Amino acid sequence: MIAYFIRRLAGTIPVILMISLLVFLLLHAAPGDPAEMLAGDQASEADILEARARWGLDQPVLVQYWRFLVNALSFDFGRSFRYDEPVMGLIAERFPASLELAVTATLLAIAIGVPLGVWAGSKPNSWVDHVGSIGGFFGISMPNFWLGIMLVLLLAGSLNILPSSGRHTFGVPDDPVTGFLLIDSIIGLNWESFKDAMIYLIMPAFVLGINMTGILMRVTRSSMLETLSEDFIMTARAKGLDERAVIWRHGFRNALILVITVVGLEFGALLSGSIIVETIFSWPGIGNLLLQGLTSRDYPLITGVVIVYTSLFVVVNLIVDLCYAAADPRIRLAK
Amino acid sequence: MSNLLANELANGTAKRTLKASAFTAALASAALAATIGHAVAQTKTRVSIGVTETIASHNPYADSVSLMYAVFCQSYGCMFDRDYALGNFTSRIVDKWEVKDPTTWVFNLKKGVKRSNGEEVTSADILHSINRAKNDAQSRQKHNVRYIASAEAPDAYTVVMKTTEPLATLLDFLRQLIITSKAQHDTLGEKADREAPIGFGPYRIRQLSVDNFVALEKVVGHKEVKPENPDEVIFRIQKEAESRVTALLNGEIQIAQFIPPQLVGRVEAAKNVKLVWEGSTEIMFLAMSPKQKPWDKKEARQALAYAVDRDAIIKAILRGQAERLDGPIGPGQYAYDPNLEPKYTYNPKKARELLAKAGYPDGVEIDFYTPVARYIADKQIAEAMLPMLEASGFKVTLKTPEWGTLWSNVQKGGVPFYYMGRGTVIDPSAALSQYFETGGSPRIGYSNPEVDKLLQAERQEFNEPKRIELLRQAMALITDEAPAHFMWRHKLAWGIAQNVDYKPLATTDILAVDIKMIPRQRAK
Repeated sequence: MIAYFIRRLAGTIPVILMISLLVFLLLHAAPGDPAEMLAGDQASEADILEARARWGLDQPVLVQYWRFLVNALSFDFGRSFRYDEPVMGLIAERFPASLELAVTATLLAIAIGVPLGVWAGSKPNSWVDHVGSIGGFFGISMPNFWLGIMLVLLLAGSLNILPSSGRHTFGVPDDPVTGFLLIDSIIGLNWESFKDAMIYLIMPAFVLGINMTGILMRVTRSSMLETLSEDFIMTARAKGLDERAVIWRHGFRNALILVITVVGLEFGALLSGSIIVETIFSWPGIGNLLLQGLTSRDYPLITGVVIVYTSLFVVVNLIVDLCYAAADPRIRLAK
Repeated sequence: MSNLLANELANGTAKRTLKASAFTAALASAALAATIGHAVAQTKTRVSIGVTETIASHNPYADSVSLMYAVFCQSYGCMFDRDYALGNFTSRIVDKWEVKDPTTWVFNLKKGVKRSNGEEVTSADILHSINRAKNDAQSRQKHNVRYIASAEAPDAYTVVMKTTEPLATLLDFLRQLIITSKAQHDTLGEKADREAPIGFGPYRIRQLSVDNFVALEKVVGHKEVKPENPDEVIFRIQKEAESRVTALLNGEIQIAQFIPPQLVGRVEAAKNVKLVWEGSTEIMFLAMSPKQKPWDKKEARQALAYAVDRDAIIKAILRGQAERLDGPIGPGQYAYDPNLEPKYTYNPKKARELLAKAGYPDGVEIDFYTPVARYIADKQIAEAMLPMLEASGFKVTLKTPEWGTLWSNVQKGGVPFYYMGRGTVIDPSAALSQYFETGGSPRIGYSNPEVDKLLQAERQEFNEPKRIELLRQAMALITDEAPAHFMWRHKLAWGIAQNVDYKPLATTDILAVDIKMIPRQRAK
């Protein structure tokens, strides 16, 4: 198990190296000069040249990449051009907001998508199945930038029951400890802050998770359909087992492997794909940070964020693999 | 708790929370009733403002956007302010100034100007601030001190500045020189910006969250603040216009900056907010690089100027909310000349004649670059211009690159014809030099010894009427030569809550002392 874990982690190193090189080369090939972007429209040619020299942009690309790699070995991705702060510090500052959003979106998606999928899969061609399937397709096909704006207009505008954007009311969470507002408010037993954070979180999390909800519903449904047609299910029913036990204990448990795979993949995608949702809701997370980096051609920031995203994706998939063994004892991780 | 609740109620945000839950409403009412006397005594007024620019750093020299200049100038304090309406310079710290010789300025500071921690502002702070603007690794305000060759402090209240050349416009540059404390920086180093953002302005920075919000609170006892000014002002970044307008309408924010034309109707129809229009100091123009064909011919550039029906675009696309520019600047901007010629009124026939004279009797193919969603209705404006240009003989290919790519290419002088704006033009000297003086920047690539001579002369002319005359001559020549065709200045729409009295400035600076809370009865 430990050997497997170490081997998987070691296998990620070439992946991360390749991705960092690719990102670095693509960024340098793309039009747009960070010095010109960031110096402002009143900067002189001398100011721009000075910024280029300071950031090492006057060096050959491969020299720049080599320096980046050497520093990255000690988890130092350099200083952001735009913010003039260490990239790792910026990511660490914004990461809790993005993770809190992605985890909540995932929990919402699981809470809605999985039961709906189980229900629809256990009653094929019933009204539940039809309604669930329509709901699933709605979730999958819904562009989140459109849904986000529509929900802002409806829930924050017409109904005025949720705030339109932001992460908290100014002044409510006074003493952030971890940066995760929900956790901080629980630690501090500050229910006012907990409620405030939830009110701001619910709409962006729903919008971010809607796509995953649809996918989970569809995957769970088809997995349940397949499992419930197996012989052992027929045997369980023939033995007179309660239908609820047949569905949940025998059917759902066996359908779970596919659901776990999808949750893992989608969670990684949610973490890295929250740029649009974070922009619509002015959510101060990594997606917003990456967008700022892209618009100002902040090479260290972009590369750092992409490497962190890649590493997270790899770790999440590793956790998914470990979950397989927990969900199905027949699966043993390769030695 | 009671103070917080009172704050929420005062700002209308509690309204939303109460609606969300009847239980919460009952609880809130009970809490409010129980503590009403205490709460009333301590109620703070707060105005939240939805803004579109960015907050890049705690370092006051690290950005060069209008929002942050305004935030830092009203908290740390700047060396000078310029009253756009009156056209004069004022200062919180400079008592008087004198031009000893064309390159030597002497500034006498007011005695007893103190920061909110009691520390006095001295000439050492001015030198320290010039040094930071010039040499701080993070500084994006080097242009503000570019012409300062040296600065000395003979005593605690005197600053002597030497400029690199005779410079009549020095005060316009010092308008954006943010004055920070040398003592704080010496004690805390880089941490001073984050831990001790102390200044002599009427508001102080209470909290700054990069790319998120900045909260200011009123400095009690400061001579510029009045009881009706809000106790707290929060600038919240809300780039998405729909979110900004929704937040305004449901009371989350009290001022929404820059309402786009398509959302003006929503704000107008709402009862709890008002729509206020204000002009802008940003000049919009079409740039034509004489280094590339067909723009190397003056007649071709003039043909384009006659080919664009600006009034029709203002009426149809901008819904009347722009002021046409006949020349580089408009009324209110320094050295504006209402009699400047030529006016370039829409005349497609004349445009075709000029294009033929330029050597293109059968028309000419051109690429037209525009940013998308950078300026108000930029892409729609460019699209509306296509048939006008086609009718005059220009065969146009519209290009809409991403802003980063376009701006980088413009900076290098690689874009032959583009639509763009130049912000915060009060005294046009710097902007004209930047775009039209040889060596100013490669953005247009225009070079004319006569224009150079006039622009250099106006910068060095300390006699104001003479300087205005030189500027007018330069602008007339530029307009006639037409390396750029000046289009308009947008009128900007602001949404403001009924319980707030605020008149936006043309510079788009938002100053908290200009904001007043209207008592509830009057607001109704």
